[in-house]
Amino acid sequence: MHSAITSSAIGAPASDATQAHGRITLFDFAVIALQLGLVLVLFRQFQIESTAFLQLAAIVFVAFAVHAFLPLRMRLPFFAVLSVVSVPLAMGLSNGLWILAIGSLFIAICHLRVSINLRATALLLVAALLAAQRATLLPFPWHDAIWPILGSMFMFRLIVYFYDLRHDSTPVTLAQSVGYFFMVPNVCFPLFPVVDSQAFRRSHYSVDARQTYQRGIDWMVRGVVHLLLYRYIYYYLTLAPSEVTDPAQFSQYIVSNFLLYLRVSGLFHMIVGMLYLFGFHLPETHNRYLLASSFTDFWRRINIYWKDFMQKVFYFPMVFALRRFGTTKAIAISTLLVFLLTWALHSYQWFWLRGVVLFAWHDILFWGILGVLVVVNSVYELKFGRRRSLGKQVMTWRSVVVTIAKRYAMFWTICVLWSLWTSESIADWISLWSALRGPYTVEVLLYPGIVLAVIALGSIPMPKAETAKTRQEAYRAWALDRAIAVALLVGLIAVSIQDVHTRLGTQVATLVHSLRSGHLSRLDNAKLERGYYEGILSVDRFNSQLWEVYSKKPSNWLEVENTGLKRFVGGFAQADLAPSSVATTKYGTITINRWGGRDKDYTEVRPPDTLRAVVLGPSLVMGWGVDDDETFERVLEDRLNQEPLSPLFKHVELLNFGVPGYQPPQQLVAFDKTSALQPNALLYIAAGREMRRSADYLAQVVRKRLVIPYPALQAIVDKSGVRADMDETTSLKLLEPYQSEILKVIYGYLVEQSINRGIRPVWIFIPQARAGSWQEETPAVLKIAQEAGFGTIDLSDVYEGYDLGSVRLAEWDDHPNALGHRLIADRLYAAIAANPNLLFGSEPTAK
Amino acid sequence: MSDAVRDKIKDYIMQEFLPGEDPSELTATTPLISGGILDSIAALKLVMFLEQEYGVAFEAHEVNRDNLDSLTSIVQLLISKKPALAR
Repeated sequence: MHSAITSSAIGAPASDATQAHGRITLFDFAVIALQLGLVLVLFRQFQIESTAFLQLAAIVFVAFAVHAFLPLRMRLPFFAVLSVVSVPLAMGLSNGLWILAIGSLFIAICHLRVSINLRATALLLVAALLAAQRATLLPFPWHDAIWPILGSMFMFRLIVYFYDLRHDSTPVTLAQSVGYFFMVPNVCFPLFPVVDSQAFRRSHYSVDARQTYQRGIDWMVRGVVHLLLYRYIYYYLTLAPSEVTDPAQFSQYIVSNFLLYLRVSGLFHMIVGMLYLFGFHLPETHNRYLLASSFTDFWRRINIYWKDFMQKVFYFPMVFALRRFGTTKAIAISTLLVFLLTWALHSYQWFWLRGVVLFAWHDILFWGILGVLVVVNSVYELKFGRRRSLGKQVMTWRSVVVTIAKRYAMFWTICVLWSLWTSESIADWISLWSALRGPYTVEVLLYPGIVLAVIALGSIPMPKAETAKTRQEAYRAWALDRAIAVALLVGLIAVSIQDVHTRLGTQVATLVHSLRSGHLSRLDNAKLERGYYEGILSVDRFNSQLWEVYSKKPSNWLEVENTGLKRFVGGFAQADLAPSSVATTKYGTITINRWGGRDKDYTEVRPPDTLRAVVLGPSLVMGWGVDDDETFERVLEDRLNQEPLSPLFKHVELLNFGVPGYQPPQQLVAFDKTSALQPNALLYIAAGREMRRSADYLAQVVRKRLVIPYPALQAIVDKSGVRADMDETTSLKLLEPYQSEILKVIYGYLVEQSINRGIRPVWIFIPQARAGSWQEETPAVLKIAQEAGFGTIDLSDVYEGYDLGSVRLAEWDDHPNALGHRLIADRLYAAIAANPNLLFGSEPTAK
Repeated sequence: MSDAVRDKIKDYIMQEFLPGEDPSELTATTPLISGGILDSIAALKLVMFLEQEYGVAFEAHEVNRDNLDSLTSIVQLLISKKPALAR
């Protein structure tokens, strides 16, 4: 089954061997095509990546059908054209053309008929100009959205391509260059493996077509499996550092944190699998990295393309330059420098993808420590060698136990190091370790046990076609691979069908349903909210799904912080809306009245026969993203006046006192401020995660040493032991057990003061316009509201029947748009109409 | 002569990196780099051996899969540097 790999000259006309490799029978093609159809169904059923990717995958699979029967000499040009066309298809015409234009400029400079040094200088000048534009030091005529894709296509591949131009005299064809840089599906992936240019050219139909295409399908399926495992870990197993309070949670945290890397390995398998469909028999991107038994082994198994890139462009040249000082020194210094460069190049990558330079001490520490460990390991291997084998290794019980033990120790070491790398800060990472002082229960054995089982199973040797000694052995290995791939493909599709997974029990059905879409986890949802409320977002990990949402956000996306509407007032609330101000935004006008509410003007004294309700809440209530007349508060007010629901009042006034970024504790200040306007009703809008956000805010207030003017809240802070000199993770951990109590105090205060002032308190829940687990607190919070004495309205399903994308401003900004606000207003009206006493009461109140 | 060169290189690889393995398993086309037998350190050691043994000089960019992935390709590279080895 395995054909010998021939080494056809790169760029030379295809040899007889490659011609033969390019052929496929109709039957084999049909089998491949059928599998591709199933892969497309799999992508769709599990909403793998974006809609743009799904559309591109469909185009790619159809293109494969054409490509597979083209004469071999036409296939690479076809692939190049497909790649070029995919760019405007996925990015839009204008963005796509800009990417192609800038990319073509780079390619043209590489092939100018001038000296290599002049070409290098020209490339550096163009790169410097682009860098200045990326840093917004210079203007640019294209959309922000092109930067991540342009960066992913050129920031590393240009380096290795130019290196090869310098050292390899084999001519490069236009199709090879264009196909290499713009290779489909790069346009959908800002994170893309650093495909080596020589490997790209060398691998084209270097192996039999059927085998190549089949491996591509296997890898795409493997990629999807990685992504689904990632989703499960991302949704269900990840913890915030402040939630890690005992040893069992500590092991869960560090294991799940590391395993989020499955997203990268999944994507890379899918991407390279797709390239296989066009004849590129490229090397594997990862090689069972969870089974690494040493630091050098880990470096060789994880992101192999990156390792090969560093080795080729930096490591070998440095070793050769330094070997006059001795081989051991040359290897040690070069290895250290490779890790230093890896850190620097990650920052460089971050700059192109995000437009800012990433500099974090824990980042440097991670690469530094890993570098030293790999150096020590390398020097050891240099002196003592390592075990290698030409075929099946002879295994004894002792060797099996030793191998598993090494892999086990290595896995946990990497998990610990990885947790440092992905921490928000060194202080946060150190704070994590305090969890080991927590109670030791039997649950502490769960993750160590699972990891041991996985490593033990993974250590069972599997037959490989490449190392098979006989045809039968090769066939058995091939058949096993096919069986696994087909079983996974068909099995996953089957279980994704609603009629199937609902028969497997509620828990399985819920699990499968959640894995069928990509959305933000509860932790990333919380980070997204903090991004709104605090105007900062430290999204600094490439495998973060949150980063992918944010990477689409244009740099000129309007934030409320940039409108001048908020002012800092000091004290517990810290900020509010600047009275008597107007801002004209692309969404319309935002008018702040003399009372500091985003609303029309109202008299200070409540008019007679009027229900005057103050509406409190965050930016959703203020109506960020819609015009003055489009807020749900305004729409509802108009309707309540045009279609009255109570004979007790002739007029209804809803006073919008929503403030962007306000957390529940701040609403106490907002409520107290509005008492001068004599409201007789309170509409408190809860937007989700009320308990968590309340505790977060108190932690912030303590850190800023602000006075807490509410004795009951101060008492909780005192009880928790939170101090101003504590890091955020520790503060949140200490306040976490009191979250519910904090909210009870807040709601209790609002209700008590309402009753004292003759105000009818109503609590209304309005969800985020985003799928995910953000609503997990809602039942508990609803209960607290009811027990406090609020009348309650739960609008959890206000967007039901609508595509969430149609009711919010953008994927990275889930404030409701005008349609969203209308839906909220309509549902609120209906809820009040169903129970008018909730808002209006049943008896006339004092006028 | 090139057979002798190939055999010498094979002996070195067997002794240095595959002690105890069956020499007949290492053929002229066995993938050395893609097969995991030569990693970066082993490739450097092999290059140093070739330089010392045959008096040739390697450059950094020549330490790659094209040149070192099989005994055949290693011999071809050596011959390109020192044609006398082919006689």
